[in-house]
Amino acid sequence: MDQMIYSIVSVKKKQRELNTLLVGMKGVSGADLYAVFCDEITAVVSNIKRTSLVADRSNAMDYARVIETLAQKFTLLPVRFGSVMESTEMIIRMLGRNYDEIQSNLRKVENKVEFGLKVLCDSEKIKAELRAKAEAGTITEPALASQKSIYKDYLYEKLKEHRFEELLLAQIDTIIQDITNHFAHLKPIHKFQKMATTTNIIDDVFLLEKEKKDILIQAVEDLQTQYADLHLLLTGPWPPYNFVDLTIK
Amino acid sequence: MHDNVVDRSKDITILEVLDRVLNKGVILTGDIVISVADIDLVYVGVKLMLSSVETMEQLKSGKSVNV
Amino acid sequence: MAAIQLCRSHHKVINGMSENKILFNSGSPDELSEEIGKFTSNEESRLKLTPDNADSGLAKLVLTLVDLIRKLVEKQAMRRVDGGSLTEDEIERLGETLMKLEMKMEELKKHFNLTDRDLNLNLGPLGDLM
Repeated sequence: MDQMIYSIVSVKKKQRELNTLLVGMKGVSGADLYAVFCDEITAVVSNIKRTSLVADRSNAMDYARVIETLAQKFTLLPVRFGSVMESTEMIIRMLGRNYDEIQSNLRKVENKVEFGLKVLCDSEKIKAELRAKAEAGTITEPALASQKSIYKDYLYEKLKEHRFEELLLAQIDTIIQDITNHFAHLKPIHKFQKMATTTNIIDDVFLLEKEKKDILIQAVEDLQTQYADLHLLLTGPWPPYNFVDLTIK
Repeated sequence: MHDNVVDRSKDITILEVLDRVLNKGVILTGDIVISVADIDLVYVGVKLMLSSVETMEQLKSGKSVNV
Repeated sequence: MAAIQLCRSHHKVINGMSENKILFNSGSPDELSEEIGKFTSNEESRLKLTPDNADSGLAKLVLTLVDLIRKLVEKQAMRRVDGGSLTEDEIERLGETLMKLEMKMEELKKHFNLTDRDLNLNLGPLGDLM
């Protein structure tokens, strides 16, 4: 029977506790959850009929809720939605093959949670401001050639866009540097993504001890006073979705 | 007005959850059932390929790209 | 009393999370609705892919890769032009080639009835990749 895998959990001596917890829970499509053990690590799975799995929002949210509930009591690595293996035996073998890497990842996230900080602003607006500055003649162009050509015009338009993007990225780098310094005292593990969308100019995820939540909120409030015109969004605590560095063999 | 704020909060939470559950977390190779996920795997492969290009460029030019 | 309890559990079911996940949020709701809109359309187009429309799924994948490579080439070209090492003639030829590549891409997109959004074209700042 196909099994959908929700997460890989660090169990150690708490096998009974896990089983008890799973009995009271339901997975995607109301399926029962159970644990597949391999020494100190466990995969939490539910039976799934390959053909009947519908990848819709409600299933994805149910899936997330399972992980969320487990994460309250156990150290775990969240698994991506839609991960299915053919049998319990295959799962056990997979856990065995990747045992060391899984364990080192579990150690990395033990007692820690993830927080997400998004910096949002309209990058098109910023680019427009940069363009306005350029009209004032501060951005130099290569000397225009003697002959007009649509190809050259096209190229120079592209060149201008390119330069604005570079300037925008430079500004973003400055903000990232600022953010890093600002949160340095919390000693987090950071990951940044620049320009994930045109509004989300910085997408920052932290791995941090749960206890530091309030200090983090304070630090974000301080950051906001420094960047009054930026929209900051802090969310969490989350299970460590962004901090699993694992290539499953 | 209050309802709007509550709805917005729900939307934000849903957005954050879905982004994590659909795009992040451990990726198992092998039997991924949903074809969406199959195409996703190739994207992961693409990202790996692209970072190799970046490394190549850095090595060739001998200067660091991110100042 | 019962009505209030029903309301609360209803809220929990929708939210799915045991606590409020938003710790700090400044700025206008409008910025975020744009964010949410972008994500949900991406997410929905992903989730709609099934074995039945695998063909257009493949077209999307191929075109995304092709367009990505085209944009990388364009980016590198801009760096060369900015560097000032190209002759006027080279600049002219570069402009012509890039323009034709872009036009060809538009043609392909139209042929497969795909928009930029379909191709998930926002893959982050390409500057990082070079």
